[in-house]
Amino acid sequence: MATHAHTEVSLRRRRSYSSYVMPAVATLLVALLIAWLVVNFVKGPAYFVTIGFIGLTNGALYALVALGYTLVYGILELINFAHGDVFMLGGLFSATMLLSVFHLHAHASTLALVAAIVGSLLVAMAACGILNAAIERVAYRPLRGAPRVAPLITAIGMSFILEDVAIGWKGPGYTAVPSLLPTGPVFSVAGITYTWEKLIVVMITAPVLLLLVWFVKQTRQGKAMRATAQDRDAAAMMGIDVNRTISFTFILAGALAGTGGLVYALYFGQIRYDTGYQIGLIAFTAAVLGGIGNLPGAVLGALLIGFIQSFNEGLLWHAPGSDWTESIVFSILILILVFRPEGLLGERTPEGA
Amino acid sequence: MSAQPAMLLELKGVETYYGSIQALKGISIEVREGEIVTLIGANGAGKSTTLRSINGLNHPRKGTISFQGRDITHDAPHSIVKRGIAQSPEGRKLFPRMSVTENLEMGAFQRSDRGAIREDMERVFTLFPRLAERRTQKAGTMSGGEQQMCAIGRALMARPTLLMLDEPSMGLAPIFVERIFETIVEVNKQGTSILLVEQNALMALHVANRGYVLETGTVALADDAKALAQNPQVRKTYLGEI
Repeated sequence: MATHAHTEVSLRRRRSYSSYVMPAVATLLVALLIAWLVVNFVKGPAYFVTIGFIGLTNGALYALVALGYTLVYGILELINFAHGDVFMLGGLFSATMLLSVFHLHAHASTLALVAAIVGSLLVAMAACGILNAAIERVAYRPLRGAPRVAPLITAIGMSFILEDVAIGWKGPGYTAVPSLLPTGPVFSVAGITYTWEKLIVVMITAPVLLLLVWFVKQTRQGKAMRATAQDRDAAAMMGIDVNRTISFTFILAGALAGTGGLVYALYFGQIRYDTGYQIGLIAFTAAVLGGIGNLPGAVLGALLIGFIQSFNEGLLWHAPGSDWTESIVFSILILILVFRPEGLLGERTPEGA
Repeated sequence: MSAQPAMLLELKGVETYYGSIQALKGISIEVREGEIVTLIGANGAGKSTTLRSINGLNHPRKGTISFQGRDITHDAPHSIVKRGIAQSPEGRKLFPRMSVTENLEMGAFQRSDRGAIREDMERVFTLFPRLAERRTQKAGTMSGGEQQMCAIGRALMARPTLLMLDEPSMGLAPIFVERIFETIVEVNKQGTSILLVEQNALMALHVANRGYVLETGTVALADDAKALAQNPQVRKTYLGEI
Protein backbone atom coordinates (compact mmCIF):
# COMPACT_ATOMS: atom_id res chain seq x y z
CA MET A 1 0.00 0.00 0.00
CA ALA A 2 2.79 2.38 1.01
CA THR A 3 4.85 1.57 -2.09
CA HIS A 4 1.77 2.07 -4.18
CA ALA A 5 1.25 5.56 -2.76
CA HIS A 6 4.93 6.30 -3.32
CA THR A 7 4.84 5.33 -7.01
CA GLU A 8 1.79 7.44 -7.45
CA VAL A 9 3.52 10.49 -6.00
CA SER A 10 6.64 10.04 -8.12
CA LEU A 11 4.49 9.48 -11.19
CA ARG A 12 2.63 12.66 -10.53
CA ARG A 13 5.86 14.55 -10.04
CA ARG A 14 7.30 13.24 -13.27
CA ARG A 15 4.12 14.10 -15.14
CA SER A 16 4.14 17.65 -13.79
CA TYR A 17 7.81 17.98 -14.78
CA SER A 18 7.20 16.88 -18.35
CA SER A 19 3.95 18.79 -18.55
CA TYR A 20 5.98 21.91 -17.78
CA VAL A 21 9.12 21.45 -19.86
CA MET A 22 7.73 19.86 -23.00
CA PRO A 23 5.17 22.56 -23.81
CA ALA A 24 7.85 25.19 -23.16
CA VAL A 25 10.23 23.57 -25.65
CA ALA A 26 7.41 23.02 -28.13
CA THR A 27 6.25 26.64 -27.79
CA LEU A 28 9.79 27.89 -28.35
CA LEU A 29 10.17 25.78 -31.49
CA VAL A 30 6.82 26.89 -32.86
CA ALA A 31 7.70 30.54 -32.08
CA LEU A 32 11.00 30.20 -33.94
CA LEU A 33 9.22 28.57 -36.86
CA ILE A 34 6.64 31.36 -37.02
CA ALA A 35 9.35 34.03 -36.75
CA TRP A 36 11.22 32.38 -39.62
CA LEU A 37 8.08 32.27 -41.76
CA VAL A 38 7.22 35.91 -40.94
CA VAL A 39 10.70 37.19 -41.83
CA ASN A 40 10.57 35.27 -45.09
CA PHE A 41 7.13 36.64 -45.81
CA VAL A 42 8.14 40.23 -45.13
CA LYS A 43 11.26 39.94 -47.28
CA GLY A 44 9.21 38.83 -50.28
CA PRO A 45 5.46 38.42 -49.84
CA ALA A 46 4.72 37.55 -53.47
CA TYR A 47 7.49 34.97 -53.60
CA PHE A 48 6.34 33.51 -50.29
CA VAL A 49 2.80 32.98 -51.58
CA THR A 50 4.08 31.47 -54.84
CA ILE A 51 6.11 28.95 -52.80
CA GLY A 52 2.97 28.32 -50.74
CA PHE A 53 1.10 27.36 -53.93
CA ILE A 54 3.79 24.77 -54.67
CA GLY A 55 3.28 23.37 -51.17
CA LEU A 56 -0.47 23.19 -51.69
CA THR A 57 -0.02 21.30 -54.95
CA ASN A 58 2.44 18.79 -53.48
CA GLY A 59 0.25 18.43 -50.39
CA ALA A 60 -2.79 17.58 -52.52
CA LEU A 61 -0.79 14.86 -54.25
CA TYR A 62 0.50 13.46 -50.94
CA ALA A 63 -3.07 13.44 -49.62
CA LEU A 64 -4.15 11.02 -52.34
CA VAL A 65 -1.46 8.56 -51.33
CA ALA A 66 -1.76 9.18 -47.56
CA LEU A 67 -5.48 8.37 -47.66
CA GLY A 68 -4.66 4.91 -48.99
CA TYR A 69 -2.42 4.18 -46.00
CA THR A 70 -4.99 5.49 -43.58
CA LEU A 71 -7.95 3.63 -45.13
CA VAL A 72 -6.16 0.31 -45.00
CA TYR A 73 -4.73 0.91 -41.55
CA GLY A 74 -8.17 1.88 -40.30
CA ILE A 75 -9.69 -1.39 -41.37
CA LEU A 76 -6.87 -3.92 -40.87
CA GLU A 77 -4.41 -2.13 -38.55
CA LEU A 78 -1.83 -2.95 -41.17
CA ILE A 79 0.72 -0.58 -42.68
CA ASN A 80 0.47 -1.53 -46.33
CA PHE A 81 4.10 -0.97 -47.30
CA ALA A 82 3.32 -1.95 -50.88
CA HIS A 83 0.98 1.04 -51.20
CA GLY A 84 3.66 3.47 -52.41
CA ASP A 85 4.58 0.99 -55.14
CA VAL A 86 0.96 0.66 -56.24
CA PHE A 87 1.07 4.45 -56.60
CA MET A 88 4.27 4.18 -58.64
CA LEU A 89 2.70 1.57 -60.95
CA GLY A 90 -0.29 3.91 -61.25
CA GLY A 91 2.14 6.53 -62.53
CA LEU A 92 3.62 4.09 -65.05
CA PHE A 93 0.16 2.97 -66.21
CA SER A 94 -0.79 6.61 -66.66
CA ALA A 95 2.39 7.48 -68.55
CA THR A 96 1.83 4.51 -70.85
CA MET A 97 -1.81 5.44 -71.42
CA LEU A 98 -1.04 9.10 -72.10
CA LEU A 99 1.84 8.47 -74.49
CA SER A 100 1.25 5.10 -76.14
CA VAL A 101 -2.53 4.86 -76.15
CA PHE A 102 -3.66 8.46 -76.48
CA HIS A 103 -0.45 9.56 -78.28
CA LEU A 104 -0.44 12.90 -76.51
CA HIS A 105 2.20 15.45 -77.28
CA ALA A 106 2.98 18.88 -75.91
CA HIS A 107 0.81 20.74 -78.42
CA ALA A 108 -2.36 18.68 -78.19
CA SER A 109 -5.70 20.48 -78.23
CA THR A 110 -7.48 21.11 -74.92
CA LEU A 111 -10.22 18.65 -75.81
CA ALA A 112 -7.75 15.87 -76.64
CA LEU A 113 -5.86 16.67 -73.42
CA VAL A 114 -8.96 16.48 -71.22
CA ALA A 115 -10.18 13.28 -72.88
CA ALA A 116 -6.77 11.65 -72.51
CA ILE A 117 -6.44 12.68 -68.87
CA VAL A 118 -9.91 11.43 -67.95
CA GLY A 119 -9.37 8.19 -69.88
CA SER A 120 -5.97 7.57 -68.29
CA LEU A 121 -7.35 8.45 -64.89
CA LEU A 122 -10.10 5.85 -65.14
CA VAL A 123 -7.70 3.19 -66.36
CA ALA A 124 -5.13 3.97 -63.65
CA MET A 125 -7.81 3.96 -60.93
CA ALA A 126 -9.26 0.65 -62.09
CA ALA A 127 -5.89 -1.04 -62.59
CA CYS A 128 -4.49 0.09 -59.23
CA GLY A 129 -7.73 -0.74 -57.42
CA ILE A 130 -7.75 -4.28 -58.77
CA LEU A 131 -4.01 -4.66 -58.14
CA ASN A 132 -4.35 -3.50 -54.54
CA ALA A 133 -7.29 -5.84 -53.86
CA ALA A 134 -5.34 -8.70 -55.41
CA ILE A 135 -2.38 -7.94 -53.11
CA GLU A 136 -4.71 -8.15 -50.12
CA ARG A 137 -6.20 -11.42 -51.34
CA VAL A 138 -2.82 -13.05 -51.96
CA ALA A 139 -0.52 -11.56 -49.32
CA TYR A 140 -2.62 -10.38 -46.38
CA ARG A 141 -5.87 -12.37 -46.15
CA PRO A 142 -4.21 -15.77 -45.63
CA LEU A 143 -2.37 -14.19 -42.67
CA ARG A 144 -5.46 -12.65 -41.06
CA GLY A 145 -5.11 -14.77 -37.92
CA ALA A 146 -1.30 -14.67 -37.79
CA PRO A 147 0.73 -12.39 -35.48
CA ARG A 148 0.67 -8.78 -36.62
CA VAL A 149 4.29 -8.80 -37.83
CA ALA A 150 3.63 -11.50 -40.48
CA PRO A 151 1.48 -9.42 -42.88
CA LEU A 152 3.87 -6.50 -42.28
CA ILE A 153 6.70 -8.62 -43.66
CA THR A 154 4.68 -9.82 -46.65
CA ALA A 155 3.79 -6.17 -47.26
CA ILE A 156 7.48 -5.29 -47.50
CA GLY A 157 7.94 -8.34 -49.75
CA MET A 158 5.11 -7.19 -52.00
CA SER A 159 6.77 -3.78 -52.21
CA PHE A 160 9.98 -5.33 -53.58
CA ILE A 161 8.04 -7.52 -56.00
CA LEU A 162 6.18 -4.53 -57.42
CA GLU A 163 9.41 -2.57 -57.82
CA ASP A 164 10.95 -5.53 -59.67
CA VAL A 165 7.89 -5.70 -61.88
CA ALA A 166 8.37 -2.01 -62.68
CA ILE A 167 12.04 -2.55 -63.52
CA GLY A 168 11.15 -5.54 -65.68
CA TRP A 169 8.51 -3.51 -67.50
CA LYS A 170 10.14 -0.09 -67.91
CA GLY A 171 13.78 -0.67 -67.00
CA PRO A 172 15.64 1.05 -64.16
CA GLY A 173 15.63 4.51 -65.75
CA TYR A 174 13.03 7.22 -65.61
CA THR A 175 9.94 7.06 -67.77
CA ALA A 176 9.54 10.61 -68.98
CA VAL A 177 6.24 12.32 -69.65
CA PRO A 178 6.70 15.54 -71.65
CA SER A 179 5.03 18.52 -70.01
CA LEU A 180 1.49 18.18 -71.29
CA LEU A 181 -0.25 20.54 -68.91
CA PRO A 182 -0.49 24.23 -69.81
CA THR A 183 1.91 26.21 -67.67
CA GLY A 184 0.51 29.69 -68.29
CA PRO A 185 -0.82 31.78 -65.41
CA VAL A 186 -4.39 31.38 -64.18
CA PHE A 187 -3.95 34.76 -62.57
CA SER A 188 -1.06 37.05 -61.84
CA VAL A 189 -1.73 39.67 -59.20
CA ALA A 190 0.83 41.84 -57.44
CA GLY A 191 3.64 39.55 -58.49
CA ILE A 192 1.82 36.41 -57.31
CA THR A 193 1.45 33.92 -60.11
CA TYR A 194 -0.77 30.86 -60.01
CA THR A 195 -0.21 28.57 -62.96
CA TRP A 196 -2.60 26.23 -64.75
CA GLU A 197 -0.73 23.01 -64.10
CA LYS A 198 -1.04 23.59 -60.34
CA LEU A 199 -4.74 24.34 -60.62
CA ILE A 200 -5.28 21.19 -62.68
CA VAL A 201 -3.64 19.09 -59.95
CA VAL A 202 -6.08 20.53 -57.42
CA MET A 203 -8.96 20.14 -59.91
CA ILE A 204 -8.25 16.41 -60.15
CA THR A 205 -7.51 15.93 -56.45
CA ALA A 206 -10.25 17.90 -54.69
CA PRO A 207 -13.29 16.16 -56.25
CA VAL A 208 -11.75 12.75 -55.59
CA LEU A 209 -11.22 13.66 -51.92
CA LEU A 210 -14.73 15.07 -51.50
CA LEU A 211 -16.23 12.03 -53.20
CA LEU A 212 -14.33 9.77 -50.82
CA VAL A 213 -15.50 11.60 -47.70
CA TRP A 214 -19.11 11.55 -48.94
CA PHE A 215 -18.82 7.89 -49.78
CA VAL A 216 -17.48 6.79 -46.40
CA LYS A 217 -19.90 8.99 -44.44
CA GLN A 218 -23.12 8.43 -46.35
CA THR A 219 -23.26 5.23 -48.35
CA ARG A 220 -24.14 1.75 -47.16
CA GLN A 221 -20.77 0.41 -48.27
CA GLY A 222 -19.04 3.29 -46.47
CA LYS A 223 -20.91 2.53 -43.28
CA ALA A 224 -19.91 -1.12 -43.61
CA MET A 225 -16.29 0.06 -43.89
CA ARG A 226 -16.53 2.17 -40.75
CA ALA A 227 -18.24 -0.60 -38.81
CA THR A 228 -15.65 -3.17 -39.92
CA ALA A 229 -12.86 -0.78 -38.91
CA GLN A 230 -14.33 -0.27 -35.44
CA ASP A 231 -15.14 -3.90 -34.62
CA ARG A 232 -14.72 -6.62 -37.23
CA ASP A 233 -16.57 -9.39 -35.36
CA ALA A 234 -19.47 -7.12 -34.48
CA ALA A 235 -19.65 -6.02 -38.12
CA ALA A 236 -19.97 -9.66 -39.18
CA MET A 237 -22.73 -10.14 -36.61
CA MET A 238 -24.63 -7.25 -38.21
CA GLY A 239 -24.64 -9.15 -41.49
CA ILE A 240 -21.77 -7.24 -43.09
CA ASP A 241 -19.66 -9.31 -45.48
CA VAL A 242 -16.34 -8.47 -43.86
CA ASN A 243 -14.08 -9.94 -46.56
CA ARG A 244 -15.94 -8.09 -49.28
CA THR A 245 -15.73 -4.87 -47.28
CA ILE A 246 -11.97 -5.28 -46.82
CA SER A 247 -11.50 -6.00 -50.55
CA PHE A 248 -13.55 -2.94 -51.32
CA THR A 249 -11.37 -0.79 -49.05
CA PHE A 250 -8.27 -1.97 -50.90
CA ILE A 251 -9.92 -1.17 -54.24
CA LEU A 252 -10.70 2.33 -52.98
CA ALA A 253 -7.18 2.86 -51.62
CA GLY A 254 -5.71 1.55 -54.89
CA ALA A 255 -7.91 3.87 -56.97
CA LEU A 256 -6.68 6.82 -54.91
CA ALA A 257 -3.08 5.69 -55.46
CA GLY A 258 -3.81 5.41 -59.18
CA THR A 259 -5.13 8.97 -59.21
CA GLY A 260 -1.98 10.04 -57.38
CA GLY A 261 0.16 8.22 -59.92
CA LEU A 262 -1.49 10.05 -62.81
CA VAL A 263 -1.14 13.42 -61.10
CA TYR A 264 2.51 12.74 -60.32
CA ALA A 265 3.31 11.65 -63.87
CA LEU A 266 1.64 14.75 -65.30
CA TYR A 267 3.02 17.25 -62.82
CA PHE A 268 6.57 16.03 -62.24
CA GLY A 269 7.01 14.51 -65.69
CA GLN A 270 9.23 11.57 -64.73
CA ILE A 271 8.70 8.44 -62.72
CA ARG A 272 10.60 5.22 -62.09
CA TYR A 273 10.55 2.05 -60.00
CA ASP A 274 11.64 3.67 -56.70
CA THR A 275 9.43 6.80 -56.87
CA GLY A 276 6.77 5.01 -54.82
CA TYR A 277 9.21 4.24 -52.04
CA GLN A 278 10.09 7.92 -51.58
CA ILE A 279 6.58 9.35 -51.98
CA GLY A 280 5.15 6.45 -49.97
CA LEU A 281 7.29 7.27 -46.94
CA ILE A 282 6.34 10.95 -47.10
CA ALA A 283 2.65 10.08 -47.46
CA PHE A 284 2.88 7.56 -44.64
CA THR A 285 4.37 10.27 -42.42
CA ALA A 286 1.51 12.56 -43.43
CA ALA A 287 -1.02 9.88 -42.44
CA VAL A 288 0.66 9.41 -39.05
CA LEU A 289 0.94 13.17 -38.55
CA GLY A 290 -2.80 13.61 -39.09
CA GLY A 291 -3.69 10.52 -37.07
CA ILE A 292 -3.48 7.14 -38.79
CA GLY A 293 -6.94 5.78 -39.57
CA ASN A 294 -8.42 9.29 -39.69
CA LEU A 295 -9.43 10.51 -43.17
CA PRO A 296 -9.47 14.32 -42.64
CA GLY A 297 -6.27 13.84 -40.62
CA ALA A 298 -4.50 12.30 -43.60
CA VAL A 299 -5.43 15.29 -45.77
CA LEU A 300 -4.35 17.78 -43.11
CA GLY A 301 -1.07 15.93 -42.52
CA ALA A 302 -0.40 15.79 -46.26
CA LEU A 303 -1.02 19.51 -46.73
CA LEU A 304 1.23 20.34 -43.77
CA ILE A 305 4.03 18.18 -45.13
CA GLY A 306 3.53 19.76 -48.54
CA PHE A 307 3.97 23.22 -47.05
CA ILE A 308 6.91 22.17 -44.87
CA GLN A 309 8.67 20.72 -47.91
CA SER A 310 8.06 23.69 -50.20
CA PHE A 311 9.02 26.31 -47.59
CA ASN A 312 12.11 24.36 -46.66
CA GLU A 313 13.21 23.96 -50.26
CA GLY A 314 12.04 27.28 -51.66
CA LEU A 315 12.37 30.06 -49.11
CA LEU A 316 15.47 32.21 -49.39
CA TRP A 317 16.21 33.40 -45.86
CA HIS A 318 17.85 30.65 -43.74
CA ALA A 319 15.96 27.73 -45.22
CA PRO A 320 17.73 24.39 -44.65
CA GLY A 321 17.25 23.46 -48.31
CA SER A 322 16.19 20.32 -50.16
CA ASP A 323 19.06 18.21 -48.79
CA TRP A 324 17.33 18.39 -45.43
CA THR A 325 13.74 17.73 -46.49
CA GLU A 326 13.76 14.01 -45.73
CA SER A 327 15.54 14.55 -42.41
CA ILE A 328 12.91 17.11 -41.42
CA VAL A 329 10.00 14.94 -42.52
CA PHE A 330 11.26 11.92 -40.60
CA SER A 331 12.12 14.01 -37.54
CA ILE A 332 8.46 14.99 -37.57
CA LEU A 333 7.51 11.31 -37.80
CA ILE A 334 9.67 10.49 -34.77
CA LEU A 335 8.39 13.46 -32.74
CA ILE A 336 4.79 12.56 -33.49
CA LEU A 337 5.28 8.90 -32.61
CA VAL A 338 6.94 9.83 -29.32
CA PHE A 339 4.79 12.73 -28.15
CA ARG A 340 1.45 12.38 -29.88
CA PRO A 341 1.13 8.91 -31.39
CA GLU A 342 -2.58 9.42 -32.08
CA GLY A 343 -1.65 12.28 -34.46
CA LEU A 344 -3.13 15.75 -34.79
CA LEU A 345 -6.76 14.73 -35.32
CA GLY A 346 -6.72 11.22 -33.85
CA GLU A 347 -8.62 10.50 -30.66
CA ARG A 348 -7.03 9.02 -27.59
CA THR A 349 -9.28 6.00 -27.25
CA PRO A 350 -9.02 3.18 -24.75
CA GLU A 351 -9.97 0.67 -27.44
CA GLY A 352 -8.28 -2.65 -27.64
CA ALA A 353 -8.09 -2.70 -23.87
CA MET B 1 -50.29 -33.10 -24.65
CA SER B 2 -50.51 -30.88 -27.69
CA ALA B 3 -47.90 -31.08 -30.44
CA GLN B 4 -44.59 -29.38 -29.75
CA PRO B 5 -43.87 -26.13 -31.62
CA ALA B 6 -41.70 -26.48 -34.71
CA MET B 7 -37.94 -26.91 -34.47
CA LEU B 8 -36.06 -23.64 -35.06
CA LEU B 9 -32.40 -24.28 -34.26
CA GLU B 10 -30.76 -27.63 -33.79
CA LEU B 11 -27.14 -28.41 -32.92
CA LYS B 12 -26.04 -32.04 -33.22
CA GLY B 13 -22.71 -33.20 -31.78
CA VAL B 14 -20.99 -29.86 -32.39
CA GLU B 15 -17.22 -29.86 -31.79
CA THR B 16 -15.44 -26.50 -32.04
CA TYR B 17 -11.77 -25.67 -31.59
CA TYR B 18 -9.69 -22.57 -30.90
CA GLY B 19 -6.53 -23.51 -32.77
CA SER B 20 -5.65 -26.90 -31.30
CA ILE B 21 -7.71 -26.48 -28.14
CA GLN B 22 -11.07 -28.19 -28.20
CA ALA B 23 -13.69 -25.90 -26.64
CA LEU B 24 -16.84 -27.85 -27.50
CA LYS B 25 -16.80 -31.65 -27.20
CA GLY B 26 -20.02 -32.61 -28.90
CA ILE B 27 -22.80 -30.21 -27.95
CA SER B 28 -26.39 -30.99 -28.90
CA ILE B 29 -29.05 -28.40 -28.14
CA GLU B 30 -32.29 -27.26 -29.70
CA VAL B 31 -34.50 -24.19 -29.69
CA ARG B 32 -38.15 -24.44 -30.75
CA GLU B 33 -40.29 -21.64 -32.08
CA GLY B 34 -41.37 -19.14 -29.45
CA GLU B 35 -39.10 -20.53 -26.74
CA ILE B 36 -36.64 -18.89 -24.40
CA VAL B 37 -33.79 -21.33 -23.95
CA THR B 38 -30.90 -20.59 -21.63
CA LEU B 39 -27.36 -21.90 -21.50
CA ILE B 40 -25.83 -21.72 -18.05
CA GLY B 41 -22.48 -22.89 -16.74
CA ALA B 42 -19.19 -21.70 -15.32
CA ASN B 43 -16.62 -19.55 -17.12
CA GLY B 44 -14.98 -21.55 -19.89
CA ALA B 45 -17.78 -24.12 -20.07
CA GLY B 46 -18.29 -23.24 -23.75
CA LYS B 47 -21.36 -21.01 -23.64
CA SER B 48 -19.96 -18.18 -25.78
CA THR B 49 -18.21 -20.67 -28.06
CA THR B 50 -21.58 -22.30 -28.71
CA LEU B 51 -22.90 -18.93 -29.86
CA ARG B 52 -19.80 -18.31 -31.99
CA SER B 53 -20.34 -21.71 -33.61
CA ILE B 54 -23.94 -20.81 -34.43
CA ASN B 55 -23.22 -17.32 -35.76
CA GLY B 56 -20.44 -18.50 -38.06
CA LEU B 57 -17.51 -16.70 -36.43
CA ASN B 58 -16.02 -20.03 -35.35
CA HIS B 59 -17.12 -22.92 -37.55
CA PRO B 60 -17.37 -26.37 -35.91
CA ARG B 61 -14.99 -29.09 -37.07
CA LYS B 62 -17.58 -31.79 -36.44
CA GLY B 63 -21.34 -31.92 -36.01
CA THR B 64 -24.12 -30.01 -37.72
CA ILE B 65 -26.11 -26.86 -37.04
CA SER B 66 -29.44 -26.39 -38.75
CA PHE B 67 -31.80 -23.46 -38.67
CA GLN B 68 -35.40 -23.79 -39.87
CA GLY B 69 -34.44 -27.15 -41.32
CA ARG B 70 -31.53 -25.75 -43.36
CA ASP B 71 -27.90 -26.68 -42.72
CA ILE B 72 -25.98 -23.54 -41.73
CA THR B 73 -22.92 -25.25 -40.21
CA HIS B 74 -20.44 -23.70 -42.63
CA ASP B 75 -22.27 -20.57 -43.72
CA ALA B 76 -20.51 -17.18 -43.50
CA PRO B 77 -21.56 -14.97 -40.55
CA HIS B 78 -23.32 -12.41 -42.79
CA SER B 79 -25.50 -15.02 -44.49
CA ILE B 80 -26.48 -16.46 -41.10
CA VAL B 81 -27.69 -13.01 -40.05
CA LYS B 82 -29.67 -12.89 -43.29
CA ARG B 83 -31.38 -16.16 -42.37
CA GLY B 84 -32.73 -14.52 -39.22
CA ILE B 85 -30.27 -15.02 -36.37
CA ALA B 86 -29.10 -11.84 -34.64
CA GLN B 87 -26.91 -11.51 -31.60
CA SER B 88 -26.07 -9.16 -28.81
CA PRO B 89 -22.52 -10.31 -28.11
CA GLU B 90 -20.65 -10.61 -24.85
CA GLY B 91 -18.89 -7.36 -24.01
CA ARG B 92 -21.52 -5.59 -26.12
CA LYS B 93 -19.16 -4.83 -29.02
CA LEU B 94 -20.86 -1.62 -30.07
CA PHE B 95 -19.24 0.55 -32.72
CA PRO B 96 -17.67 3.02 -30.28
CA ARG B 97 -17.22 5.98 -32.66
CA MET B 98 -20.73 5.75 -34.06
CA SER B 99 -23.77 7.37 -32.49
CA VAL B 100 -26.58 5.38 -30.87
CA THR B 101 -28.73 5.93 -33.96
CA GLU B 102 -25.95 4.79 -36.29
CA ASN B 103 -25.37 1.67 -34.17
CA LEU B 104 -29.05 0.81 -34.40
CA GLU B 105 -28.95 1.41 -38.16
CA MET B 106 -26.05 -1.02 -38.44
CA GLY B 107 -28.25 -3.65 -36.78
CA ALA B 108 -30.64 -3.33 -39.71
CA PHE B 109 -27.81 -3.57 -42.27
CA GLN B 110 -29.35 -6.58 -44.02
CA ARG B 111 -32.74 -4.93 -44.43
CA SER B 112 -33.85 -2.42 -47.03
CA ASP B 113 -37.42 -1.63 -45.87
CA ARG B 114 -36.68 1.92 -44.75
CA GLY B 115 -40.11 2.65 -43.31
CA ALA B 116 -40.17 -0.48 -41.18
CA ILE B 117 -36.61 0.18 -40.04
CA ARG B 118 -37.68 3.59 -38.77
CA GLU B 119 -40.64 2.03 -36.97
CA ASP B 120 -38.41 -0.56 -35.36
CA MET B 121 -36.04 2.15 -34.19
CA GLU B 122 -38.93 3.93 -32.51
CA ARG B 123 -39.87 0.59 -30.94
CA VAL B 124 -36.35 0.24 -29.53
CA PHE B 125 -36.56 3.80 -28.18
CA THR B 126 -39.90 2.98 -26.53
CA LEU B 127 -38.37 -0.15 -25.03
CA PHE B 128 -35.34 1.81 -23.78
CA PRO B 129 -36.30 5.48 -23.30
CA ARG B 130 -32.78 6.08 -22.04
CA LEU B 131 -31.43 5.42 -25.53
CA ALA B 132 -33.84 7.94 -27.06
CA GLU B 133 -32.29 10.63 -24.87
CA ARG B 134 -28.86 9.70 -26.19
CA ARG B 135 -29.56 9.25 -29.90
CA THR B 136 -26.64 11.37 -31.03
CA GLN B 137 -24.15 10.36 -28.36
CA LYS B 138 -21.15 8.24 -29.39
CA ALA B 139 -21.79 4.70 -28.17
CA GLY B 140 -18.30 4.36 -26.72
CA THR B 141 -18.94 7.19 -24.26
CA MET B 142 -22.06 5.71 -22.62
CA SER B 143 -22.31 3.79 -19.36
CA GLY B 144 -22.27 0.00 -19.29
CA GLY B 145 -26.02 -0.30 -18.80
CA GLU B 146 -26.79 2.09 -21.64
CA GLN B 147 -24.37 0.23 -23.90
CA GLN B 148 -26.09 -3.05 -23.05
CA MET B 149 -29.46 -1.57 -23.99
CA CYS B 150 -27.96 -0.31 -27.23
CA ALA B 151 -26.49 -3.74 -28.01
CA ILE B 152 -29.82 -5.49 -27.44
CA GLY B 153 -31.64 -2.80 -29.42
CA ARG B 154 -29.13 -3.19 -32.24
CA ALA B 155 -29.75 -6.95 -32.39
CA LEU B 156 -33.53 -6.35 -32.41
CA MET B 157 -33.14 -4.01 -35.39
CA ALA B 158 -32.39 -7.08 -37.53
CA ARG B 159 -35.97 -8.30 -36.82
CA PRO B 160 -34.51 -11.69 -36.02
CA THR B 161 -36.39 -14.98 -35.84
CA LEU B 162 -33.89 -16.06 -33.21
CA LEU B 163 -32.22 -13.58 -30.87
CA MET B 164 -29.04 -14.72 -29.15
CA LEU B 165 -28.05 -12.80 -26.05
CA ASP B 166 -24.62 -13.34 -24.52
CA GLU B 167 -24.38 -12.25 -20.89
CA PRO B 168 -26.83 -9.35 -21.16
CA SER B 169 -26.70 -8.74 -17.40
CA MET B 170 -22.90 -8.77 -17.09
CA GLY B 171 -21.54 -5.98 -14.92
CA LEU B 172 -24.85 -4.16 -14.64
CA ALA B 173 -26.50 -2.56 -11.64
CA PRO B 174 -29.43 -4.65 -10.27
CA ILE B 175 -31.99 -2.14 -11.50
CA PHE B 176 -30.69 -2.49 -15.06
CA VAL B 177 -30.59 -6.29 -14.76
CA GLU B 178 -34.31 -6.38 -14.02
CA ARG B 179 -35.04 -4.00 -16.86
CA ILE B 180 -33.06 -6.18 -19.27
CA PHE B 181 -34.85 -9.37 -18.22
CA GLU B 182 -38.25 -7.68 -18.49
CA THR B 183 -37.28 -6.68 -22.00
CA ILE B 184 -36.27 -10.24 -22.88
CA VAL B 185 -39.70 -11.52 -21.85
CA GLU B 186 -41.42 -8.69 -23.72
CA VAL B 187 -39.49 -9.33 -26.93
CA ASN B 188 -40.24 -13.04 -26.64
CA LYS B 189 -43.96 -12.35 -26.25
CA GLN B 190 -43.85 -10.41 -29.51
CA GLY B 191 -42.78 -13.63 -31.24
CA THR B 192 -38.97 -13.75 -31.18
CA SER B 193 -37.34 -16.95 -29.98
CA ILE B 194 -34.42 -16.40 -27.64
CA LEU B 195 -31.22 -18.23 -26.84
CA LEU B 196 -29.89 -16.72 -23.64
CA VAL B 197 -26.39 -17.23 -22.23
CA GLU B 198 -26.16 -16.10 -18.63
CA GLN B 199 -23.96 -16.19 -15.56
CA ASN B 200 -26.97 -15.05 -13.55
CA ALA B 201 -28.53 -18.51 -13.56
CA LEU B 202 -31.31 -17.59 -11.14
CA MET B 203 -32.74 -14.88 -13.36
CA ALA B 204 -32.13 -16.87 -16.55
CA LEU B 205 -33.97 -19.96 -15.30
CA HIS B 206 -36.74 -17.71 -14.04
CA VAL B 207 -37.56 -16.33 -17.50
CA ALA B 208 -36.63 -19.37 -19.64
CA ASN B 209 -38.75 -22.32 -20.80
CA ARG B 210 -35.86 -24.74 -20.94
CA GLY B 211 -32.22 -24.73 -19.98
CA TYR B 212 -28.95 -26.50 -20.65
CA VAL B 213 -26.12 -26.71 -18.14
CA LEU B 214 -22.74 -26.75 -19.87
CA GLU B 215 -19.59 -28.13 -18.28
CA THR B 216 -16.18 -28.10 -20.01
CA GLY B 217 -17.58 -28.24 -23.50
CA THR B 218 -20.35 -30.79 -22.95
CA VAL B 219 -24.02 -30.65 -22.00
CA ALA B 220 -24.14 -31.85 -18.39
CA LEU B 221 -27.88 -31.37 -17.86
CA ALA B 222 -30.87 -30.52 -20.03
CA ASP B 223 -34.33 -29.97 -18.63
CA ASP B 224 -37.25 -27.62 -18.17
CA ALA B 225 -36.13 -24.37 -16.59
CA LYS B 226 -38.32 -24.95 -13.54
CA ALA B 227 -36.95 -28.45 -13.02
CA LEU B 228 -33.37 -27.17 -13.38
CA ALA B 229 -34.03 -24.46 -10.83
CA GLN B 230 -35.14 -27.19 -8.38
CA ASN B 231 -32.26 -29.54 -9.18
CA PRO B 232 -30.05 -29.82 -6.04
CA GLN B 233 -26.86 -30.04 -8.10
CA VAL B 234 -27.74 -26.88 -10.04
CA ARG B 235 -28.82 -25.06 -6.89
CA LYS B 236 -25.51 -25.90 -5.25
CA THR B 237 -23.23 -25.05 -8.16
CA TYR B 238 -24.95 -22.18 -9.93
CA LEU B 239 -27.45 -20.67 -7.56
CA GLY B 240 -25.00 -20.26 -4.71
CA GLU B 241 -26.78 -22.56 -2.24
CA ILE B 242 -24.71 -24.49 0.25
